[in-house]
Amino acid sequence: MKQEDTTTPEQPRPPARLPLWANPRIGLVVLLIALIALFTTLRPAFLNTQLTLVPMQADISVYAVVGLSQLAVLSLGHMNMAVGRMAAMSAFASGLLHDRLDAPLILALAGGLAMGALLGALAGLIISRTGVNSFVVTLALDFALIGLVSLLYASFTDGVAFNGLPAGMSALRTDTFADYCAGDVCGPEIPLLAPIALVAVLVVGLLFRWSRTGREVLMAGSNAKAAELSGIPVRLRTIQAHALSGLLAGLAGFLLSANNGAFSAGVGDGFLLPSFLAPVLGGTLLVGGAVSVLGTVLGTAITQVIYKGLNLLQFQVDELKLYIGLVLLAALSLDRLRHVLAERRGVPA
Amino acid sequence: MTSTVESTPTRAATTPAAAPSRLRRTVRTSEFTLVALAVIGFVALTLTTDGNMLSAGTLAAFFRFLAVPMIIGLAQMVVLAIGQMNLSVGVLTGFCAMVAAWAMLEAGLPAPLAVAGAMLLGAAVGLGNGLLVVFTRINAFIVTLATMTIIDGLRYGVNGPGTYQDYSAGLEELGQASLFGLPVVFLIACAVAAMVWFFFARTVPGRHLLASGGSPFAARLSGVSNDRSIVLAHALSGLLAGVAAVLTLAQSGSVNATIGDDLLLPSFAAPIIGGVALAGGVVSVLGTSLAAFIVRLVDVAQAQFAINRRWVDLIVGAVVLGVVLSGAIRTKLSRRSS
Repeated sequence: MKQEDTTTPEQPRPPARLPLWANPRIGLVVLLIALIALFTTLRPAFLNTQLTLVPMQADISVYAVVGLSQLAVLSLGHMNMAVGRMAAMSAFASGLLHDRLDAPLILALAGGLAMGALLGALAGLIISRTGVNSFVVTLALDFALIGLVSLLYASFTDGVAFNGLPAGMSALRTDTFADYCAGDVCGPEIPLLAPIALVAVLVVGLLFRWSRTGREVLMAGSNAKAAELSGIPVRLRTIQAHALSGLLAGLAGFLLSANNGAFSAGVGDGFLLPSFLAPVLGGTLLVGGAVSVLGTVLGTAITQVIYKGLNLLQFQVDELKLYIGLVLLAALSLDRLRHVLAERRGVPA
Repeated sequence: MTSTVESTPTRAATTPAAAPSRLRRTVRTSEFTLVALAVIGFVALTLTTDGNMLSAGTLAAFFRFLAVPMIIGLAQMVVLAIGQMNLSVGVLTGFCAMVAAWAMLEAGLPAPLAVAGAMLLGAAVGLGNGLLVVFTRINAFIVTLATMTIIDGLRYGVNGPGTYQDYSAGLEELGQASLFGLPVVFLIACAVAAMVWFFFARTVPGRHLLASGGSPFAARLSGVSNDRSIVLAHALSGLLAGVAAVLTLAQSGSVNATIGDDLLLPSFAAPIIGGVALAGGVVSVLGTSLAAFIVRLVDVAQAQFAINRRWVDLIVGAVVLGVVLSGAIRTKLSRRSS
């Protein structure tokens, strides 16, 4: 048992260049390609565009945004246990705007995003004001919102979903760029949801890499006290990171509603597990201070490829869970091993 | 019954001179607030339902369905004591219950063996969680997230979507039996809670566990093995989930693969309302049990007044937030006054 790991402070390591195999993203890409090759050999239908690839891209789009929503607070070392319910509340807001005010697509989306950001900011405000653990606050918020969402749907709709959809939303579900042609040239078979998710990925990536706010959030996550002493408004950054998480949860809720074809109370029910799975597989730590946006996207892609592949091999839904859990454990243990090996190589003998 | 690393429960201070300050200290504890809240809630519910709460049937049902939430809250509490989390408690309860029912019906084992098996299975899975955390050094939240997914699949694998019932007449009789007007399952839960309290307050491994949770570094310097504490806490959590599985088998009479799905969030709600710190080092058996009692009161109120089931979640969420906020305000005030 390596007890020293937890107790002794880490030795300052010389900034040795890590070998190529120690880059976690490359490992993920290799794993992704290996998985795709494996499933294609077992079931050639895996590369069928209509049957597999297009729906899979839509799913990856939705869950990549879900993963980013969690990543936004993992950057602080916080958690957001209410991702699913924030998504449900924003879907409700979008649905209500369309149902009562006849809002067009873009306004409904904006309303939903505002609702998500507001809920996230509320969580961030409570956390930064009271200093209570983010897990507790968002868990309690999740509890409260579970109740609120069903009550709201019960009083504003006939059942658990809004009837109508804004014009253009069903196109998001069914169409790919191949349906839009300029003359003889048609787009690739990519669902219309994908570019929306891509924009989210780019914005979050740029935010954490280049923007002052993003860097300060990471610093606050790495060491809140040092950040505070360096003049970083830690409280404000906490609120902003949680608001971003809520905003992205809202976007994920909208994308899933588009994918499902309805604003319903069930949106976001299954978000919690994937929201952690993707960033953690992608190498984002729970302690804060470091994020990997690209890793999150790769993590999402791997999970969805496994889901789709095992689905094609006719595994039951609950068997899928077993294998996803095992893959997660194996991937994390390997990652740990890689770390240990890389550290050993990095330290000159 | 709050046990912290710094201050052991004070039983010695009963001199008359210390009485007023001791009284004030008692009133200020979060347990006292919870007792007051529980009593007020119970009385209010009794009055508003014209005494229906006190009828034998309602009262027995109230306590019978309190047993499992109490034990599940404690199962989460032991892991919170070392500053970690166990997301697999709920599904593990369901898995143990399904395996025990399978053992009785399909493998033909007698009920006592199946009961022991369920508890052993729980402890073994918990042990596995603990060993994984210690050997891989991965955050317990992530490890148990992964094992939760795995156990979820296994739980379904026992009997698919089917339901097991009529597994043991003796066990079901036990679930319905009463002693001194209280259901036996509730008394068992109380006995288990008392044992957990004894473990943390009076035994060496229990104190070590709290020390590891309070400050791993200090614990290590004092010769406490943090790894052993982590493994022990997870094993104990699994064992308690196994106990909850047995109680579920006894009181419900039929089990299927959805058992335990609705236990994860309440498992956190009870210790958090009960004043257990997520950072570790603090446990409160009484607080956790009282919190489960209060949540149960909300449940019964919903049934009595035929309110939408969803109000319960809303209210429980609001209560947890309220408790957390008032706790934060209280610490701020006491820091200012001192």
